[in-house]
Amino acid sequence: MNTNPVNETRLRTAPPVAARSGSTRASAVSGSTAEAASEVPALRLSGLTRRFGSLTAVDGVDLSIRQGEVVALLGPNGAGKSTTIDLALGLSTPTSGTAELFGGDPRDAITGGRVGAMLQGGALLPTLTVAQSVALVASVHKHPLSVAEALERARCTEIAKQKVAKLSGGQKQRARFAVAVVSNPDLLFLDEPTAAMDVEARRIFWQSMRDFTSAGRTVVFATHYLDEADEYADRIVMLSGGRVVADGTPREVKAVVSGRRIRVTFGRDWDAALAASIDALPGVRSVDARGNQALIVTDDSDATLRGLLAEHEDAHDVEVTSQSMDDAFLALTAGGAGTAAAPTEGARK
Amino acid sequence: MSIAYLRLETLRQMKNARTLIFSLAVPVVMLFAFGGSFGSSGAVEPKSGLPWIVLTTIQMAAYAAMIAALSQSFSIVNERELGWNRQLRITPLSGTGYLISKAATALILGALGIVILMVISQLAFHPDLSVGGWLAAGLAIWCGIVPFALIGVIIGQFAKPDWAQPIFMATFMGLSLLGGLWVPLQIFPDWVSNVAKAVPSYWLNRLGQMGAKLDGDWLTPALVLLGWTVVLGAFIIWRYRRDAARS
Repeated sequence: MNTNPVNETRLRTAPPVAARSGSTRASAVSGSTAEAASEVPALRLSGLTRRFGSLTAVDGVDLSIRQGEVVALLGPNGAGKSTTIDLALGLSTPTSGTAELFGGDPRDAITGGRVGAMLQGGALLPTLTVAQSVALVASVHKHPLSVAEALERARCTEIAKQKVAKLSGGQKQRARFAVAVVSNPDLLFLDEPTAAMDVEARRIFWQSMRDFTSAGRTVVFATHYLDEADEYADRIVMLSGGRVVADGTPREVKAVVSGRRIRVTFGRDWDAALAASIDALPGVRSVDARGNQALIVTDDSDATLRGLLAEHEDAHDVEVTSQSMDDAFLALTAGGAGTAAAPTEGARK
Repeated sequence: MSIAYLRLETLRQMKNARTLIFSLAVPVVMLFAFGGSFGSSGAVEPKSGLPWIVLTTIQMAAYAAMIAALSQSFSIVNERELGWNRQLRITPLSGTGYLISKAATALILGALGIVILMVISQLAFHPDLSVGGWLAAGLAIWCGIVPFALIGVIIGQFAKPDWAQPIFMATFMGLSLLGGLWVPLQIFPDWVSNVAKAVPSYWLNRLGQMGAKLDGDWLTPALVLLGWTVVLGAFIIWRYRRDAARS
């Protein structure tokens, strides 16, 4: 946890338990997490909504992120990840709802140098070198790191003297990371930081991110790769259609997202007896039937299939596919946030 | 807003200002064309009481300063297009700080334009004007381009990349024409010359002449320019704060 003096003073002025998010979660706060609960959340979104004309990009998002958490915002393109980050930073004005960073206006957190970000559509000036870019941004901050240290943290020392225009995609992202950390922020937003990176560049990038978070700082990163979210986040918040559809540990969210789908046709039309018998099969998570066809989502396709074929001789045209993340998103959106996994309190790696 | 940022930012932009040399070529050539044709004799223009060559130099210095200040719009449009603005908005740099850094660079570029034109005129034509006269004329023109620096910033904030050039030209020509920099205002109806007195470009020339003569009524131009500066400045800050996140 961060224990610099600024946080100490902020802590004391914080409302005790109110710092936790959504009402459903507040009841789950146990004694062991009281300490964490009394801390001002790094980020808090309440009923956050943003409409662009008829499109609702962010639709009533409630989210609270504790200091020290590493959170992935996972979702397909157009899920509202970038808009949510823009709103959280105060770069865009919400249609309704509020966004707070460290219990106050996002702009205050930015002015205080507590927030760094790599945003979509943000870029460095091509005519400057990496070191010059970092120095230029450092000069507007009150207590920046030294340029050399920011470069070091972002693994940019060897490319410090290169012009931004000449960098590869991965190097550019690292340079932007250097610019984002030069204020020595407590909270870092990364919007799809590894897009346009090859595997090696990705590895180096996440290494420097790990160094950053091991010091107890908060990171919120948007991604559409489940693997990335799984590997680097303590908590995954899934967004779809501008809503939070799942929120929990990587293990919990992976369970929701993974699984197989079995499509099967029966010799007779769907009825209650058939539904009951399919529901009772091992591993079955959900069933969706239409006419004489059923779509079964299962955690254990082998066991489900064995049971299905043994019990139903009229089952034919069986097709097994792995559930994609998009399927999971669709299922979650259709089912509403009710199916979301509950977050584990105080979960830290 | 820090001095360190202002220094780095202006230095950076000065390095990028090589294109300015080309913009300055036009007024320099015009200085030689007009100054050479009727200025070198030392003849005095009766109405203002200043030598023709001084008048021409002032006119061209004002022209150069105006271009230099307005051309700030291009670098802003370019930075917006790149996404550098977006990067800056997640720093403590305030709307005011941003305005100051951009306007300051515009003013430095403008000063550079004025100095270059005056030095060239002095070296080539040796006009009959004291150092104090030149300094006062230069300073007066320089004060006069503050609104242009701000208009440059506004074009930079609003224009889409494709539109920057046409908007720049329309503004530049419109203000030059309305301010009487090209055509004497006497040929227009009276109301036009009254309107012209509210336009900053009208005062650019007049200020230069007042400076060169080291006398004149400063109050009206000072109020007009101050009014423009306040209104444009407030507008820029408002716009910077309201600018939608991803433009």
